[in-house]
Amino acid sequence: MSTILVDNLTGKTSAGSITVTSEGGAATQSLQQGLAKVWGAFEQSGTQTFYDSFNMASITDLGTGLSQLTMSSIMSNANYASVGCSGEQSGGGNRVMGVRGSAGLTTSSIVFANYALSTGSISDDTRLSASLLGDLA
Amino acid sequence: MAGTIVADTLTHSTAGSIATNYVVDGSAKAWVNFNGTGTIAARDSLNLSSLTDNTTGDYTASWSSALANASYSALYGAGVVAVISAQERLHTIAAGSYRIEMNEDNSAATDSSYVMLGIHGDLA
Repeated sequence: MSTILVDNLTGKTSAGSITVTSEGGAATQSLQQGLAKVWGAFEQSGTQTFYDSFNMASITDLGTGLSQLTMSSIMSNANYASVGCSGEQSGGGNRVMGVRGSAGLTTSSIVFANYALSTGSISDDTRLSASLLGDLA
Repeated sequence: MAGTIVADTLTHSTAGSIATNYVVDGSAKAWVNFNGTGTIAARDSLNLSSLTDNTTGDYTASWSSALANASYSALYGAGVVAVISAQERLHTIAAGSYRIEMNEDNSAATDSSYVMLGIHGDLA
């Protein structure tokens, strides 16, 4: 087994592009493009806090069911994909979360709105998770 | 010519080690952020070959490099426009594509200005 001791990985031909071979060996893909640039698991009810996170600077409570997550290192544009899920840690009904309109998605922060499907009303939840895929600045 | 390093483990001086299979297996193999209203179009993406608008709230994303099988994981970014919530759900999954449906709370199909997908699994 081989081990590389390294603090930074930089592409030789293009600094921002390192290619990895697929599991099946039939394709190659950019390492940087496939990495999650930001992720967080957070509490929305009560005082909003992160359970754990990566590249998150802060969380702001914008009202019931609304959370603004601010990144430490910003994205290069607002065209990134945001994926995630929400739900109560113990029981509760079905939930859905999403970006709150185009104004809620910027290079440095993203606003999530969370809803209870049973009522269609905006709702705080105890456990939400999000991951951002895209380009860092 | 770019070089190739074959290694099983990457070790950072302070942040710990990671087996390189976690780097390869743990990376997203495809993702997309697209506008599902009007003429649908990707804002940005990875490994996306095309988007198809099947009908209202019904889209197919096709991958440039196919996944190894149809057992991969798909994560959604449900679109929310103003304060109206929408949810995404699977319609059909294949190694080379993923078809999703968008629904409002009352289950009516709806187009959304923000539809997002993240795909994790094995490339072929």
